[in-house]
Parts: sequence; structure tokens; C-alpha cells
Amino acid sequence: MAEAQAVDAETGAPYTPERFMNAEQKMTALVEESLAGYKGQKRSVNAMFTKLSDVSKMMSKPLITWGRSNSLWPLQFGLACCAIELMDFGASRIDAERKGYLLFRGTPRQCDVMIVAGWVTKSVVPRIKRLYEQMAEPRYVVAFGECATCGGPWWESYNIVKGIDQVLPVDIYVAGCPPRPENLFSALMKLQQKVGGKIAGNTERNLSETARRNESERL
Amino acid sequence: MAIMRINVGPIHPSTHGVLRLVVDVDGDTIKNVETHIGFLHRGVEKLCETRMYMQNPSYFEKLDYISPMSWDEIYVASVEEAMGIEVKEAAQYARVILLELQRIANHLLWIGTLCNDIGQMFTVFMWCFRERAEVLKLLEDVTGGRMFYVNMRLGGLNRQLPPDFRDRTHALIDYIEGKVAEYEDVLDSNGIFMERLKGVGVLKRRDAIDYGVAGPVLRASGIEEDVRKSAPYYVYDRLDFSVPTKALGDCYARYRIRYEEIFQSIRIIRQALDMMPEKGDVVGAPIKLIGPAAKPDVVIVRRELPKGEGIIYMVPDKQKPYRLSIRAPGFVNLAVLPKLLEGAKFADIFAVFGSLDIIFGETDR
Repeated sequence: MAEAQAVDAETGAPYTPERFMNAEQKMTALVEESLAGYKGQKRSVNAMFTKLSDVSKMMSKPLITWGRSNSLWPLQFGLACCAIELMDFGASRIDAERKGYLLFRGTPRQCDVMIVAGWVTKSVVPRIKRLYEQMAEPRYVVAFGECATCGGPWWESYNIVKGIDQVLPVDIYVAGCPPRPENLFSALMKLQQKVGGKIAGNTERNLSETARRNESERL
Repeated sequence: MAIMRINVGPIHPSTHGVLRLVVDVDGDTIKNVETHIGFLHRGVEKLCETRMYMQNPSYFEKLDYISPMSWDEIYVASVEEAMGIEVKEAAQYARVILLELQRIANHLLWIGTLCNDIGQMFTVFMWCFRERAEVLKLLEDVTGGRMFYVNMRLGGLNRQLPPDFRDRTHALIDYIEGKVAEYEDVLDSNGIFMERLKGVGVLKRRDAIDYGVAGPVLRASGIEEDVRKSAPYYVYDRLDFSVPTKALGDCYARYRIRYEEIFQSIRIIRQALDMMPEKGDVVGAPIKLIGPAAKPDVVIVRRELPKGEGIIYMVPDKQKPYRLSIRAPGFVNLAVLPKLLEGAKFADIFAVFGSLDIIFGETDR
């Protein structure tokens, strides 16, 4: 006699392992089933039957870096003098938005690049950290001007952090007091190449450094 | 209705720097505003006491980074007064012209950012920056710096004016006069602009005196006070210009004051260019760290900066300031913000705050 099968209380249908699968497991099972006939033959399978993570693994590097490097949205956030040049960067003479990938946003949640423009005081550091943490990964930091790079003329001041790189991982440093808007443009194009993997340093460095900082903070 | 406490800032696109406001609102009406400042404090006054006299101008330029030359000039003037140095006549005219150009650049940026604050009128912002870029181009050719100039030397400027300075400046102010006149057509007939500014943030004449506000904010409340008129320096007493005043004291009056000051500055520059000696020497003393020793006495210098009256109080020592105190117009104007916002709507915060023209480099110093 066959053993009694567990039944669903509502529908009365018998329980099968499929009922406990989530969507992704179901998809995997489906793909494995569809692949069964192809095992051994080296051909690509229909993308419709592959998992989403497989798609991203297959296409990730070129497609995602292309997408990331062509949609760098800076955060509209200024501290001091360099912020005036940042405004000039977005205004009529340079007009950063004509490039299409440098759209200043008001909220950190939509942004990829933080341009630290101005001197960083000790009381502002927690706020900048908060903004940085609100940005979605991968995120990049540009230290714009001498003050954000190393403290600049306020090196001897008691209230100044000597460079934003003591707080956040910096990707690009821009020299000048203040740097011209053209310098910022060239810096952001450099960052674009860096994100696109065309020059040394890529997204991994940023992420690993973030992770390392989090780890050291926990200790 | 229960009172709700809302935090604004310190990092906010419209605070023009780093300002934190704690606002108590009843529905949409503001009951109380607390301002928290000091996020850009770096101890300028203390740093200046450790430097020789002519090492300091670069610190002063960073007080007000929209009109750096004004603070550069007021500091160098206080050193000149401490050492008893006379400014050459041609250099006096040149300084007046450059300072008024700087005032025009400051007001242009202010109009642009105000329009941006009150409703994303980005067109006017773009226009203002187009005109400001032309001013900066001229200043760069004259002084050597695009934004920070450090072009004041004891008794004059850092270098000779370029040979075509007169023609270029005439061409520039003609261009600006024509372009800025267009703003009036666009802004004063714009419903949004007028609705957001008229009758908002009214500062009465009595309150303006009590709070001790400075500059265009004071003049918008009906008080005709301008250091260029009441205690003329350089050649301002020889020039014919008027000080615009308005009686109403609302945000619109503050906008009109600055708008009209652009034309007054153009008037001043035009006269100064004509009156400037044809072949005058404008170059001052080269920077020497050990200069002539200053007399140990108290020096107080007042200047009409674009944002209001700035004062430097200096107790000179022989080679460097013994004590230096700065009275910044932004600081005194910020003090009146809670008064202006009492009973206003929440959305008016940045219209009122923007109309005061506050810069945090000098407020927090």
C-alpha cells in the first residue's frame, strides 16, 4: 500500500517539491531541464531560459562598465570656494550637462560621484560620511581643490581635516586653488576612463577599500 | 495642531554652503527657527596672527569667495593705514574699477542663484553666469587669477594694467548694461518670481536698525547708508553715483537694490575710466616679508563690500598683526533670519535666506 501523502489543506492537491521552490530555483530547474539535451554539445542556450544572474555574469564586464562610465551623476553638494567653480562647471560657459552623463542631482541616492569641493572641517566630516553612505555602490569620490586634497592653506588650522582621503577613499585628485572648471571636466573624463577600465584602477579598488574601512571601524 | 520640528541642512543644495536650520512648524507656518553655524570655521583670525602682513591676503580672499578682491582690498588697506602708506592716484582709480567689477560679478551670481532657489528658473542662472564669465575673463587678464586674485600690494596693484584695459572695460560694461537690462523684462513680468518675492520676509525699518543689518538688506528697508557715501575712501567722493534705497523691505526690494546697484557700478566704472590718469603707475611695493614696521596703534577700516559693510579691527605689531578682528556683513545679516521667517510659510525659507546674500566663508571664518 502506498504511504499516505501530505495534502494541502485548502486545495487538496498533493505536496510536491516544486511547491517549496522559490522563483529562482524554479528557473534553475527549468534551465537545467532545457539544458539536458544539450549537455556535451558546446553551444549557447537561449537567453530566455537562463537565469538573470547568468546573463549578468555573461555580459557583466563590458556592458555594465559601459553603462556605469556613461552615466556618472555627480552629487550637487558644495562646501566652500571650489563650489563656486563647481557652479561654473554646470553653468553656461562649460555646461557639463551637454555631455549627457554629468547631471547634477540633489539627492545622494541617485548619485555615483561625490565631488568634495572645499575645506573639510571636523564638524562637517560626519555629514559627508553620511552622504557617502547614502550613495549607492559603486560610488566614486573626487577631491576637488587643495583643501580637499591635503588641507591646502588651512594646514595649520585646528579645525581642518587634512584631506578628505583621511575619511573617504578618493579616486581622483584635482590640484588648484581653486581648480578651473576645465580641470574638473578633465578629471571627470579621467574618472570615466577609470570606471570603464581603460586606465589603471577600477571599481574593485573602491569597493575593497570601502570594505576595509568598514572592517577597521568595527575593530 | 502639534508643533513639528524639521531639520534643514547642513548640506543642502540651497543653503549656499553649510548652514543648519532647525525649524518648528505648525502645519505649514513657521513658529521658530534656530540657525546653527560654524561648519566652515577654520580660525582665520588666529591664523593671521602667525603670519607676516603680506602673507595674509590670500586668507582674506577665502572669506568671501564670490567677491574675493573686496576682502583682499580691505585687508591691504588696513595694513597700509597701519604703516602709513599712501596709495598712488592711478592705483586708486584702478582699485575702484576692479572693486566695482567685482561687485557686478557678485550681484550677477546672486541674482542667478536666487532665481535657482525660488523655482528652478535655470535660464536666468545661465544668463547671469554668461555675463559673470566675461567679467572674470577681464579680471583674469588684469590680475592673473581667475577666482582668487591676490593682486593688491602696498600702495597699488601687483602689475601694470594691460594696454587695452580702458577699451576692453568700456566694451565689457556696455555689454553687461545691455544684457542685464534684459533680466528686468524677464523677471519683473514673471508671475512666479513676483509671487515668491513680493511681500515675503518683510524687514521693517525699526527692526533693520535694531538688528544692525548691513548693505543691501539695510538699504532695502529704507535706510540710506553706504560707506562709499558716508565715509568715502579712494576716489569715491569725486564720482557721481547714487545709492538705491527701497522702502518696503521685502525680498523683492532686496532684489531691486542689487539689480540697481549693478547699473550704479557701471556708472562708477565709466567715470573712473575717464578720470584715471592716462599714463599713471599702478604698481605697488613688491611683497617683502619684512616690510616697514607698523606703528603700534589700533586700526579700523570700513569698506562697502558687495554684501554690506565690512570692518577690520587690527592691533598691529611690528611685522604681523597682534590681534585681528573681522566684522563680516554675512554674520550680522544671518542674525535677522529667524525674525524674517517668523510666521512665514515653510517654502519661503530659501527665498528669504537667498535674498540676504550670505556667504559662509565670512560668517564662520
